[in-house]
Amino acid sequence: MILNRIFTTYTFRFMFSYVLVLGVAVFIMLASVYALYSYEQFSRVQESIAHELDQLELHYREHGEQGVRDYMDDEKSRANLSRFFYILVDADDRKVAGDLDAWPSFREFGRGWLAFEREVLAWDGEAEHREFMARSRTLADGSRLLVARHYSDLISNAKLMLRMLARGMLITVVLGVIGGAWTSLTMLREVESINRAVRTIMEGDLSERIPITGRGGDMEVLVLNFNSLLDRIQSLMAGVRQVSDNIAHDLRTPLTRLRNHLSNLEQHCKPENREEVQAMLAEADGLLATFSGLLRIAQVESGHRRAGFGPVNLSAIVQDVVELYEPLAQDKQQQITLNLPDEKINITGDRDLLFQAIANVLDNAIKYTPEAGQVSVTMRQHGSQAVVEVIDSGVGIPEEKYDKVFERFYRVEASRGQQSGNGLGLSLVAAVMKLHDGKISLHAGKPGLQVRLLFSV
Amino acid sequence: MHILLIEDDDAVAAFIQKGLAESGHSAERVTDGREGRDAAMEKRHDVLVVDRMLPHLDGLSIISQLRQSGVNTPVLILSALGEVDDRVSGLKAGGDDYLVKPFAFDELLARIEALRRRQEAIPQTRLKVADLEMDLLSHKVTRAGQNFNLQPREYRLLEYLMKHAGQVVTRTMLLENVWDYHFDPQTNVIDVHISRLRQKIDKEFDHQLLTTVRGVGYMLQDPADA
Repeated sequence: MILNRIFTTYTFRFMFSYVLVLGVAVFIMLASVYALYSYEQFSRVQESIAHELDQLELHYREHGEQGVRDYMDDEKSRANLSRFFYILVDADDRKVAGDLDAWPSFREFGRGWLAFEREVLAWDGEAEHREFMARSRTLADGSRLLVARHYSDLISNAKLMLRMLARGMLITVVLGVIGGAWTSLTMLREVESINRAVRTIMEGDLSERIPITGRGGDMEVLVLNFNSLLDRIQSLMAGVRQVSDNIAHDLRTPLTRLRNHLSNLEQHCKPENREEVQAMLAEADGLLATFSGLLRIAQVESGHRRAGFGPVNLSAIVQDVVELYEPLAQDKQQQITLNLPDEKINITGDRDLLFQAIANVLDNAIKYTPEAGQVSVTMRQHGSQAVVEVIDSGVGIPEEKYDKVFERFYRVEASRGQQSGNGLGLSLVAAVMKLHDGKISLHAGKPGLQVRLLFSV
Repeated sequence: MHILLIEDDDAVAAFIQKGLAESGHSAERVTDGREGRDAAMEKRHDVLVVDRMLPHLDGLSIISQLRQSGVNTPVLILSALGEVDDRVSGLKAGGDDYLVKPFAFDELLARIEALRRRQEAIPQTRLKVADLEMDLLSHKVTRAGQNFNLQPREYRLLEYLMKHAGQVVTRTMLLENVWDYHFDPQTNVIDVHISRLRQKIDKEFDHQLLTTVRGVGYMLQDPADA
């Protein structure tokens, strides 16, 4: 799970390409080191061969064949592990001196360098197959001198070097991958914590902010930016709400005046017009109800009413709501059942608003339950929470619309036109619940809808 | 009924004065807080209608000063502030009722008339409207000798209507006084309660006592007085 997430993260992919580039770079560097090392080694071998040739030529010029022979013996005895082999042949290719049997057959390397292979006795007496590098020089009397040196030690040195470099390369890649995974895991954790915070904020309270770790760095800048983005969203949303609240507030006075004029007209108009004026009055009353609904939500959301909170008997409120609405249900032949706990439940809140909220929920339940249906109101204490559940046997609400019904003016499509209402009832309930630090949630009843209100006791 | 209106907004004052005049009441208007207090001290008025925000002396101070001086004229407070604590502070200062602007004139009139009635009411043990009688001690309700069995809430509803017989009572007034909640029903749930009560007290009788006043509320009235 988490591994899968690591491999798909942007960070990991970034780290992967980083390791790839790093690997190639390290490879090129190590290959250069290897090439330079080998070149250097061979140059030194070549220099030493050239030096030997110079020495031999000098001895030959001064002491003739004997000088060469003495020098060779000298060299051989001095370095018991001498790598040099010599041969001096006369103009007729007969061997004059040296430890090679005959003038070897060789390949040309270019620039006067020769190469050949032959068996030599190693210090332990075993025969070994060795590669030689050699250079020959034709002396003044036509005889030829050849100095050869085997370079298997160089090759084994180079091989050792190559092995070390290959290991270094492997370590680089492994460390890179581990580092990449670790970095992306840390980044992933930080991103995930931001994600989680953003999710909770979007689900719930827009006024919450992502906590700042204080560790500084890019992530903190991201969090700060995110928080200011949320500030902006919040102020924009507040602005939109403010506009609608202002409209409602400013239009309420002239609308009331209009309503009063209509009411006046109704008293004095001709009897044949009365019905029309009454319809206009009803229309104006509906508009006023919508406006005062909006303003009430705004007022509840502003939180001012929290100042008037006191201990209230929630059980009594639930009982009063059911009592008020019972005749309405009975008119629709609905059966309304009330289950209250034996002990009364007290919470801190606003009595009128709590009544309003529970009444709105019950009003909806009765409204959307067909005749002869069932409505039940249950209250219970669950730990430190008081639960009020209103379950109806109506048509219910599609689950994907659960969130939408709390928006202002939202009405489930099927209920538009069929039922009276302005689409503000549940918005007000949500606002009241939030004011009381409570929760409202919708659940599918079988059939119908189950509205659950949670209060902390 | 003679009403003192202390209100600095000309449009609102004119609207109230006109409405009251049409309903057969006389209204004296004062714009300034201090002048209003002095006028009210004379105890010439049946009901005071006081705006909360006034020049020189605010509405709540007027009321508390009046109450301290022993002036008990009923007061209806008008206010643009409609929050619960505003309402509570208004009533605590000595106001008798509270109406939030903007309001329908019918609502104001119904409340003013209810206030006057409260002032006049002497402690009673029996209420009587036409042949409907209520014994406040034994909680017995009879009409033309026939005994009714009322639920507690129906009893309180009828009691309120009988105490305000001949007056229009609005739905909000009923919710506030009978149910004791300030709230806004989405449905006209009060209508259902009224029609239940009507079933009991009116159905089998020739004269209807409980009538609906369209767009305003209800009225319990002796048909002979209408």
